[in-house]
Parts: sequence; structure tokens; C-alpha cells
Amino acid sequence: MDEIIYMNLENSPSLLLFVFFATVTVITALSVIFQKNPVVSAVSLVFTFFSLAGIYGIMGALFIATMQVLVYAGAIMVLVVFVLMLLSQRAETLSRYRKHPIRLVLLSVFVIGFFFLLYSALTTGVPHSEQMGKGYENAEYIFPIQGTSTVNAKGNVATVGASTYLDYLLPFEMISILLLVAVLGAVILAKKKLTEVDQTKDTVL
Amino acid sequence: MNQLISGIPVTYILGLAGILFSIGVLGVLIRRNIVIIFMSVELILNSVNLVFVTFSKALSHISGETIVFFVMAIAAAEAAVGLALVIAIFRHKKSTNVDELQSMRW
Repeated sequence: MDEIIYMNLENSPSLLLFVFFATVTVITALSVIFQKNPVVSAVSLVFTFFSLAGIYGIMGALFIATMQVLVYAGAIMVLVVFVLMLLSQRAETLSRYRKHPIRLVLLSVFVIGFFFLLYSALTTGVPHSEQMGKGYENAEYIFPIQGTSTVNAKGNVATVGASTYLDYLLPFEMISILLLVAVLGAVILAKKKLTEVDQTKDTVL
Repeated sequence: MNQLISGIPVTYILGLAGILFSIGVLGVLIRRNIVIIFMSVELILNSVNLVFVTFSKALSHISGETIVFFVMAIAAAEAAVGLALVIAIFRHKKSTNVDELQSMRW
């Protein structure tokens, strides 16, 4: 197996991209748990999610990479940062980057290079459809539709969609009910009591 | 089972997932801020997602990626309920330190 690895290290950029994204993942994950300021931890967690999306892109799981950016780096991180701001954690230590321009420039260069590499990782997943594990080749699903001949689903997203709606239809519907119940529970938990609202209104007026 | 996924050995990706899981568990154990504990749980869920995608690609079977989609939906639900709980606890205790949540200790 070792000679296979060395051979691939020479002629494919995928392993180098993987090493870069793995390094960024580990460093930012360590930064999440060792930072004093929770806002800095949240920003580190955003970079962890983006680099994991890059790894999914290299592996050819394009649907999962897209969902990683949309759900984790988008929705869940918005929730976390919003709650951090509601809890009035200290955010003023972020302004220390403004006092050190060299640190700010280094951070900007890292961010721009990171997103360029993320772009290249996601695009290397698509065009080489002949290679193994590049998103298209392995991704094939035969629709078991009754009464017709079988139809092949090509492409990663089509395959995942077909598997979701044909093999896992009942779990999918259960997930939708679970999300509805979770959102209702979140509203009930985060809502103030009516008496508290009346009291605060009295103090304000 | 493919030993390589687009040029990357499977063992490397599984090692990365193990490191990420360990970091998440370490964060749950050593930090006392409840929001940071929440973020560490997200790290653990992400490492599990990485293992699912890796085996889905290595075994050439699509079910792993479908289950990752479900895991993401569960994580979103957990985020909504967990952060609402954080808000409720903070309104009650005026603190996000889990050491001060002692009302269920006996």
C-alpha cells in the first residue's frame, strides 16, 4: 500500500489538498476548545466546518459538502453566534486584531488562500468524472420503479436524492416531524412567561 | 473495499476523524462554558459524518451519505433546542458556567 501512496503523491494534488485541509481542521478544532473568548471559538468552528466541506469535496461527496456549508457553517453557526451575543459575552478582545495591522494582514492572506483552496477542492471533485470516487463514477443508483424498466440516476446529488426518497422515505418523514417538534420546543423554551412580560412593561413605562 | 479515495488512503481520513472526535470529547470534559460544550458536541457529530462519508466512498454504497444528511437534520434540531435551553438557563441563573447548575444535585 505504501508504493500506491507515494505514486499518488506525485501526480495528484488531492492528497496535498487533503493534508492542508486536515491540518486546518485539527488546528481550528484545537482553537475551538482552548480559546478563552467564546466568539473566537465560534469563528474557529466556522473554519473547521469549511475545511471539512473541502475534504468532502475532495472525496467526491458534493451534496454533503454543499449541505455542510449550508447547514453547519450557515444555519447552526448563525444560531450559536446569535446566542453568544444574547448572552453578552465579551467581544471586545476581537478588536485587538485591529491594533496589530500585521496580524490582520496575515489573517486576511490566510482567509483568501483558504477559500481559493476550498474552491479548487470543490472543483476537482467534478470534472474528472472518469476517476474513482470523483463524484460521478461510483454514484449510480438504479430506480426500482414498479411497472417500468429500471432507470439509472447519474451524479452524486441525484443518487443521494434517489436513495433518500426510495430507501429512506420513512426516516425522512420522521426527520421532518422531529424538526417541527424541535422548533416548537425551542420557541416554548425561549419564550418569556406572560407575567414576566407584564412586570418588565410596568418597569419600563 | 477501495484502499484509496481519489488518491487519499482511507486510514488517513479515519485517523483525522478519530483526532476530531478526541478533540470534541476533550472540549466537553475540560471546558465549563455551556456554549463551548455545545460546539464540542458539534465537532463530535462532524467526525462521525466524516466516517460515514469515508465508508460510503470506500464501499461504493450511497447509504452512508444519505445518513449523513439525516445526521445534519438531527444536529440542526439539537442546535435549536439546545440553544433555547441555554437561553432559558441563562435567564434563570444569569450564568453560562455548568458548575453553577447544581439544582439537580442531591
